[in-house]
Amino acid sequence: MSLYLDQIRAIIWKDLLLELRTRERIAAMGAFAVLAGVLFNYSLDQARVAPQDVAAGLIWMTLVFGGLLGVGRTFYLEAQDGAMEGVLMSPAPKDAVYLGKTLANFALLFPVALLILGVFWLFFGLDLGSNPGILVLALGLGALGFVALSTLFAAVSSGTHMGETLLPILVFPLLVPMVVYGVGVTGRIMVGRPVEEVLGNVRLLAAFALVALAAGAVLFRFVVED
Amino acid sequence: MSITGMRRTGTGLAVVGLLGMMFVFWLSFFWVSTEASQGVAQRIFYVHVPAAWTTFFAFGLCALTSAMYLWLRDERLDRAAVSAAEGGMIFGTIMLTTGPLWGRIAWGTYWTWEPRLTLTLLLWFIFLGYFMVRSSTENPEKGKRFAAVVAIVGALDIPFIHVSVLWFRSLHPQPVVVRPEDGPALPGDMLTLLLTSLAAFTVIFLGLFMLRYALEGLRRELDVRARKVAA
Repeated sequence: MSLYLDQIRAIIWKDLLLELRTRERIAAMGAFAVLAGVLFNYSLDQARVAPQDVAAGLIWMTLVFGGLLGVGRTFYLEAQDGAMEGVLMSPAPKDAVYLGKTLANFALLFPVALLILGVFWLFFGLDLGSNPGILVLALGLGALGFVALSTLFAAVSSGTHMGETLLPILVFPLLVPMVVYGVGVTGRIMVGRPVEEVLGNVRLLAAFALVALAAGAVLFRFVVED
Repeated sequence: MSITGMRRTGTGLAVVGLLGMMFVFWLSFFWVSTEASQGVAQRIFYVHVPAAWTTFFAFGLCALTSAMYLWLRDERLDRAAVSAAEGGMIFGTIMLTTGPLWGRIAWGTYWTWEPRLTLTLLLWFIFLGYFMVRSSTENPEKGKRFAAVVAIVGALDIPFIHVSVLWFRSLHPQPVVVRPEDGPALPGDMLTLLLTSLAAFTVIFLGLFMLRYALEGLRRELDVRARKVAA
């Protein structure tokens, strides 16, 4: 068991180190988050629509679009020079590789999720409502479910000649429940509803993330086998 | 069953199914009584509901055979999966076109974010991804595996989609046949027609499924022979 955890840790560390040296994906996602905030500012007539009313949906949309930007390139660097074969030939089981890569993606996406929340709070003067901690928890669980699905399908789409173009078509229909639960939590907390009212949604977000992780861990080996 | 046998049975079933469907059309235009509150528009129900039933059956079959394909790696299971998925797309498209036509009259709008509509639309798109993945790999084996993964994850996602979309208030008519507590609420002639139509749709689906399955087998045989000639 501890060997398994070590293998996962090694994959996470390798991915994060790569990211630390290149800073490509995190920079792209971070810039996207801020720029999306700027664009939303001009696409909303704030005299008619209060940002507070629509922010929950915009936050989750930014998370999904921005996340795809980074997660879609999970396998890009390694596909370039055949490094993925090296990773797959290592003694680490395929599900450890998947979990490592997914958690590394989570480590990149979660700060971006917090950045999105911060950017929207700053740009639109949002009132974060009754319990910002629950907002952070919901974004965290949402980000986890998101990376669990999109890392699996990033592996699928990078094996096709359509590449990243295919990724949104594959994951958007699957992500609908996550967005519904997530927006449910965010929207209600931001209008000051009590925490009890959103606990059901938070649990569903957690269940979604767990099922996505488990399915990914089981199915990943069928995607990368050759 | 041999490929030829499959083709013959498939053709037979498709012909029987099509005749059955013509009978269903005749029944629904000239025989069945008109529903009191919805009028003639309700007659689309005899196409819509069986199409929906067939769609879900087809997609379920596809997810099941996909999982078995990944497990056993039997070429025939993949053939069954893709044949079922194609049937599901066809009947899903029928369901998604007849539904809004009825909805325009009964609800006053073509489209609404109603749970069952949303679920079907998403399912349709999941299987669109299934075919796109399948056809966009250089190595067909890889495409089959990828597509199977899409079908399985799609099937696992359905309960979540179902729960999430249910939270929007439902406009869709509630079930009138399978009601565990009260039994069917449909008048006799309507129920008879619905079940006839259900049978016709299922037979057509099975016929198309077998024809498609045989075609996939022929393609493979052609492939093998072409390779032999080349070698």
